[in-house]
Amino acid sequence: MSQEKLLKPGERTFNLLLLVLSAGVLYEAYQISGFDLLNAPGAFPLILGMIMIIAMLVILAEQRHRSGTATSGVGNAAKQFIQCCCPREMTVFTAMAIIYLALLHPLGFLPATILFLFLSQLYLRSGKMMASGIITIITTIVIYALFKIIFQVYLP
Amino acid sequence: MPETVSYFLMAWTDPSLLLLTAAGTLAGIYVGALPGLSVTMATSILISFTFAWDINQALALIVGIYCGGVYGGSRTAILLNIPGAPSAVATSFDGYPLAQRGEVGQAIGLSTVMSVIGGLIGVLVLASVAPFLAEMSLQFAPRDYFLIAGLGLLLVGSLSAQSLARGIFAAALGGVIGLIGLDPVTAEPRFTLGFTNLMGGIHYVVVMIGMFGVAEALFQLHQLNAETVRQKVDRIVPSLNLVLKFLPLSIRTSIIGVIVGALPGTGGDIASLFAYDHAKRSVKNPAQPFGKGAYEGLVAPETANNAAVGGAYVPMLTLGMPGDAVTAIIIGALVIHGLNPGPMLMIQTPHIFWFTVGNLVLANLFLLIFGLTGIRIFARIVELPRAILIPTIMVLCVVGTYSLNSSMTEVYWMLGFGLVGYFMKIYGFQMGPVILGVILGPLMDKSYRQAMSSVGNDGTAFLLDLVTNPLSLILTSAVILLLLSNTPLRRVLSRRSR
Repeated sequence: MSQEKLLKPGERTFNLLLLVLSAGVLYEAYQISGFDLLNAPGAFPLILGMIMIIAMLVILAEQRHRSGTATSGVGNAAKQFIQCCCPREMTVFTAMAIIYLALLHPLGFLPATILFLFLSQLYLRSGKMMASGIITIITTIVIYALFKIIFQVYLP
Repeated sequence: MPETVSYFLMAWTDPSLLLLTAAGTLAGIYVGALPGLSVTMATSILISFTFAWDINQALALIVGIYCGGVYGGSRTAILLNIPGAPSAVATSFDGYPLAQRGEVGQAIGLSTVMSVIGGLIGVLVLASVAPFLAEMSLQFAPRDYFLIAGLGLLLVGSLSAQSLARGIFAAALGGVIGLIGLDPVTAEPRFTLGFTNLMGGIHYVVVMIGMFGVAEALFQLHQLNAETVRQKVDRIVPSLNLVLKFLPLSIRTSIIGVIVGALPGTGGDIASLFAYDHAKRSVKNPAQPFGKGAYEGLVAPETANNAAVGGAYVPMLTLGMPGDAVTAIIIGALVIHGLNPGPMLMIQTPHIFWFTVGNLVLANLFLLIFGLTGIRIFARIVELPRAILIPTIMVLCVVGTYSLNSSMTEVYWMLGFGLVGYFMKIYGFQMGPVILGVILGPLMDKSYRQAMSSVGNDGTAFLLDLVTNPLSLILTSAVILLLLSNTPLRRVLSRRSR
């Protein structure tokens, strides 16, 4: 079996989750106006919900003969999933982004952005404190000047 | 006629519009060229800043970015074998081997000139076809709009994803996201899950910035340490003989580009692959084999993807249907500026159409200027590490989303869509159908309900209308053929015919 035919770690689970989501969409669509009239507000959402379910069932059927990467045990599967889909850089960067959003209002745009840009560059570039600091300051000034002064948009 | 000319020349004569078109084109070239930054991402982030602007200024900047971005992807495809944009994938097949042969300057120069030729042919078709199509589209019934939108979603689903089912799923998901909020006719809440802050719906720009900006930035973290290759850049302006030699091919592939670009849902990426395939089939004895540095393999995709820009504007301006993801964003911008993309746009606001045409021509001229200059500086910029680019993209996404409604909730939504988009991307779902679904979902809902109301809620009459009206029959047949061509039935039939 070629590498392309192998399922990615967690792919089947992800698709099953999407199937559950599709069922949820169909249920929510039904809640809008049931099967009242063909032009009711819920009619087209019902069609979309059904399309999502059918499409996902087709995807799962297409995958039924495809095997996943060889694993033994839940621990190994989780390890493979993390390696393939959530590498450390992605997870840490996402966490930094969430913290950045949380700090935007308490700290204000400029301090939070400087902190986020500096720490994320420091992490992604494995050190290089001076270069990260200089680039952070230049980037922040450019973004602030461009959007606050030239485009005159509201910043968080 | 004089009015048309003055609208056409508006961007040429107004210094601020001229400057914005130039700035947009220049920025587009660099945005399109930087791997990890796509023209769709740039447009979706940028558009949120232009809502307070005059519509002409906003359009001037976006047209520039669009033209520049589609072309810019070829730069890194030739220099580094990394297509800066999906529309430049085919360019790298022969562009990079040309660079390896030491002909990088000539390759970039030729691709620039050919991109401009393709772009201008696209605009010419737009200017000549769109007014007639707009007039014709006034005769379209709601069911036809429903079918065209459905056809567009099916096309983008079948051409851009690993399988049609994935494309359809992504488009339907987008449709559901687009319908969140109060029903515009009955004010009944749809998919709000009881949350009052979902009553107003989710702004499509929030979804776009999340799925194109954040998801792509997170995805790029997988290639954080990809090495960049330094290149020597030499003579750039191509000789007239070389341009004339490839002119017939460039005209043919431009036409392919315009047609593919005009199909709702498709864009420069598919057009360039079609054109490359055409060049491979039609050019019998290239000086170098295809894939080993054939100039024909560079000319075909580069003309086609730029011609597709003009093509993509045709359904957008005449039917209100996006030709690709970027025109989907532009439709949103037009709506926010109080305009009505579709057949009435050409009648009520013809200046917008002729302004866009003039602006596209201008952007192509700027493309020629900027494309043939600054290549050495450019070669250094594309070497910018992703570790600097990715955090900057994240900040731009936050600023872009917040500037919409000054709402932190939307910023969190944007990040949420980014994470969903990231995992969908990992597992082979494309973002294009989702975005087109968000835009086309409400339109399909409206057309479907209008069509159903017009036949008194009679399902049989609705189905009969689909096959008895000539235009509806053509569209219905196209939908069915497209669906069948992606099923095992097609494989069975083609095996039998062999």
